[in-house]
Amino acid sequence: MSEEYIIDCKNVKFTYSGAVSPAVNNVSLKIKRGEFVSVIGHNGSGKSTLARLLNGLLEAEDGKISVLGMDVAEGKNYLEIRKHIGIVFQNPDNQTVASIVEDDIAFGPENIGIEREEIGRRIEWALSAVGMEKYRNATPTRLSGGQKQRIAVAGVLAIKPDVLILDEATAMLDPKGRREVIEVVSRLNKDEGMTVILITHFMEEALLADRAIVMNKGEIVLEGTPEAIFENGELLETYNLSLPEISIISDKLRACGMEIANVLRPEALAEEIVKNMQNNGIYAGQSSKFNPIAVESAHEWDIDISNLTFTYSKKSPFAAKALRGVNLHIGEGEFFGIIGHTGSGKSTLIQHLNALIRLPQTLKHYRKPKAKKGQPAPVIPAISVGQFDLTSKKCDFKALRASVGMVFQYPEYQLFAETVFADVAFGLKNFNKKITAEETEQAVKSSLEMVGLNYEEVKDKSPFDLSGGQKRRVAIAGVIVTKPHILVLDEPAAGLDPKGKCEIMELLHKIHREWCRTVIIVSHDMDEVAENCTRAAVISEGAVFACESPAMLFKRADELTALGLDIPLTAKISRELAKSGIIIDSDCTVNGFCEGVAEVYKGGANA
Amino acid sequence: MLNDVTFGQYYPAQSFVHKMDPRTKILALIAFIVLLFVSSNFYSLLACVLVISIALAAARVPFGRVLKSVKGIIFIVVFTAVLNLFFHGGETVYAQWWIFRITREGIINTVFLTSRLFFLVMASSVLTLTTTPVALTDGIESLLKPLKYIRFPVHELALIMSIALRFIPTLIDETNRIIAAQKARGADFESGNLFKRIKAIIPILIPLLISAFRRADELGDAMDARCYSGSKNRTKYKKLKFGGRDIVALLVFALLIAGVVLLNIYWAQIFPLINDYIRLS
Repeated sequence: MSEEYIIDCKNVKFTYSGAVSPAVNNVSLKIKRGEFVSVIGHNGSGKSTLARLLNGLLEAEDGKISVLGMDVAEGKNYLEIRKHIGIVFQNPDNQTVASIVEDDIAFGPENIGIEREEIGRRIEWALSAVGMEKYRNATPTRLSGGQKQRIAVAGVLAIKPDVLILDEATAMLDPKGRREVIEVVSRLNKDEGMTVILITHFMEEALLADRAIVMNKGEIVLEGTPEAIFENGELLETYNLSLPEISIISDKLRACGMEIANVLRPEALAEEIVKNMQNNGIYAGQSSKFNPIAVESAHEWDIDISNLTFTYSKKSPFAAKALRGVNLHIGEGEFFGIIGHTGSGKSTLIQHLNALIRLPQTLKHYRKPKAKKGQPAPVIPAISVGQFDLTSKKCDFKALRASVGMVFQYPEYQLFAETVFADVAFGLKNFNKKITAEETEQAVKSSLEMVGLNYEEVKDKSPFDLSGGQKRRVAIAGVIVTKPHILVLDEPAAGLDPKGKCEIMELLHKIHREWCRTVIIVSHDMDEVAENCTRAAVISEGAVFACESPAMLFKRADELTALGLDIPLTAKISRELAKSGIIIDSDCTVNGFCEGVAEVYKGGANA
Repeated sequence: MLNDVTFGQYYPAQSFVHKMDPRTKILALIAFIVLLFVSSNFYSLLACVLVISIALAAARVPFGRVLKSVKGIIFIVVFTAVLNLFFHGGETVYAQWWIFRITREGIINTVFLTSRLFFLVMASSVLTLTTTPVALTDGIESLLKPLKYIRFPVHELALIMSIALRFIPTLIDETNRIIAAQKARGADFESGNLFKRIKAIIPILIPLLISAFRRADELGDAMDARCYSGSKNRTKYKKLKFGGRDIVALLVFALLIAGVVLLNIYWAQIFPLINDYIRLS
C-alpha cells in the first residue's frame, strides 16, 4: 500500500447517461496525506462529479482511481473506501437522517458496526471538533444553516475518515455560517492532520488551501498554489471564474502606478498600500471626495413601515417573536439593500410588503389592543406602499401584489408549468383574468427578453430542462411579467458561481433602470450591497439596527462585526489603513475605494 | 395555510410521564384500551376514570390541550351516540316513535360507548402530548423487534419513520415558501368552487413533489457516503432504558387492571343486589 498518496487518480473519465460530453474527462490527480486542496470551477465544471467518483458513488468509465492503495472500481472495496473518504454535501437540510443531533451523528458509526460506548465517545469528539458540544440533544431543523452544516461535518467525522471532501458545502450558507464551517475544516486540517478537499466556487475560500485545482469542462486546467493560480486573472475569466476581490483591487491599484505585491489578506494589502504611500511621502491623508446621497422622501411609490411587530405561532409554546418594532422608509427609485443574518426577521419583514403576511387589523378576529393603566398606549403597526394602505381591510391586496413583485430565495424551485411560456404567464393570468392571448404573448416575450433569454428558443421548453442560471431567470421573468413598480428579491444571487452572480446583479440593474422603479434586495453578501445599493438597512433581532448609505453604514464596521455580520473587503482594508493614519472615505465600492486610494497617493506625488 | 400546524402534538414539560420510557407508555395505552372495552359495569368504568385522572395529573399537560384532541372526534361520538340511543333496542322501553325507540339498555349502552371513546382519545393524547415523535418511533421499533424473526423489516421501517419525521418540518417550511411565492404571483387558494381550488393546488404540488424527489436523491447519496448498507452488521447507539419510574408505572397499572378485572368478575358476588339493578343486559 503506497502511503505517500492517499488518493491517486489516473486519466479518469465519466459521462452521465444521456449527456453528450463527459462530465469528468482525463483527470489525473494525486493527493498527499494531510494536504489541503481546493477544487474550483464554475457550476457544471465537473468538480462535484469528481468528488462522487472518489468514493464510489459514481463509477468511472475509464481510468483508475485508487484510495489508500485500494481500487475504487472493485465492487468489494466501496464500503471500505467510504470509511476513509467522507463527503459533506451542499444542502444542509438533505443530509441529516434523524431529528436529534446525536442520533444523526451516530448514523455513520452505526452503519459500520461500531460498539455503543465507542459511538458515544465519537459523538462527543465529533461535536467538539466542530464546536457544537452544546447541541447534542438539539433538533437539526431548528439550527442555523452554518450549525446544520457543522453537524453534517460531525456526522462524517464520526466515521473517522482520512479524507474529508466538502462538495460546495458552503454554497447555501450565509457568510457567518460559511466562516464557521471553513474555520472548522481548517482547524481539522491543521490540528488533526485531516486531508481536506474543498470544492467551492468562492475564490476567498480557495485561498486557504495549500494547493488549488481549477476545473473547466471536466478537465483540470490549472494547478498550483492559490497565489500562483490567481496571477492568471484573464485565463480564469475564460473559465467563467472571477478573481478574488482582493486581486481585483490589487490590479486596479497597480494600474494607478502603485507597486503592490500579490497578497491574499486584507491586512497584507493594507500594508502594501501604506508602504506605497510612505514611499510617496504620505504618512497621514484623507480622501473625502465622497458625498452620501440624501434620500428625498414622499414620492408616489414610497414605502413606509412603522412599529411593525410580528410573532409566529402566537399563543403556542413555540411562539417566536420575529419582528419587534420595525420603522423603515424606502424611497421611490432606490436600489435598497436589507442585510441581516438568518433568523434576523428580514424574510418576515419583506413578506409584509405585499401582504403575504397581513397586518393584524385587516384580519377577521382583530381586536384593538387596550391601553393598560399606567402604561403607554399600545403601538399599532402601519405600512403603506404607494397609494396602498395596508392597514385597511379595504386594501386591494391583489392589485398590491401585482405592483409589488416578490422573488423568493431559490425561485427556480417554484417553477411548475409544462412550458416556460405557461410558467411566466401564470402571474399575468392571475392578476388579469381578461387578458387576451396576444397581450399575454407580448408581455411574456418582453419579460423573457428582459431577463436575457431568447424567447423563441425557450418558450416551448420545459422549465426543468434548463440550466440552473436559466431557471432562475425564468423565475424572475415570471414575477416581473406584470411590470411591478417595486421588485423585492430575497438573496437573488444565492448559490450561483461568481460569473452567475455578476450577471444576475447586472440584470437587476437593467430591470431597475427600465421596468421597476424601486428594487429591494435581501442579501448576506456585504460586497454585493456595497457595490449595488443606494442605501441599506441592517436588521438585527427583529428591529432596524441601522439604515444608511453603504458608505456611512460600513464606517460602523466594529458594530456590524459585533452583530456577527461581515463588512465589505474595501471596508476591511480601509479599517486597516486608518490604523496607519490613512483615511479613505469612499462609497465602499471597489472603484470608489481604488479612486480614493489613488487620490491620496497622487496627492503625495504632487506635493 | 399551514402556519398553525405545530409539528406533532408534543407539549414540552418535565413531568413524571414525560420522563417515562416510551415503550411503557405505549404498552400502558394498549392495556388501558383493552381495559376500557372489557369494563362491563359502571364501577370498572369509574376505575378507568381514576386511571386517566392519575395519568393526566402526572403528565402536567394543560387540560385544555387534552380537550382539544377530544374536540376532533366529537362529531363521530355524537353521531354514534345518537344511533345507539335510538336504535339499540332492549326490553325496558321509555319512549317510542315510528322506528325510534329509547330503551334503558340503549341509554346505558350509549353512556358506555361515548365515555369509552372519550377516554380512549384522551389517553392517546396523553401519550402523544408527552412523547416526542422520535421517542415514539424508537419505542415502536423496540416493541416490534421480535417481528425480525419472521423477516419483517423492522429496522427499515424504523428508518423510514425516522426520516419521515425528520423531513416533515422541512417540507412544511418548503410548502409555506412555495405557497407564498405563488400567492405573490397572484395565485388564489381561498376562493372558487371545489374544482377551481383543486386546480389551484397544482402550482404548489408540482414544485413540492419535484423538491421531495430532489431531496430524496441527495439524502440517498449522503446516506451512501456515510456507509449505509442496510441493517446487516449494524449497531444501535441509542438503547431505551427502563427506569425506576417505569417499574412504578407498570406496577400501578397492573394493580389497576387487576382491580378492574376483579370488579368485573366479582362485583356480582360482593354486591348482588346493586349489581342486579345496574348490570347491562
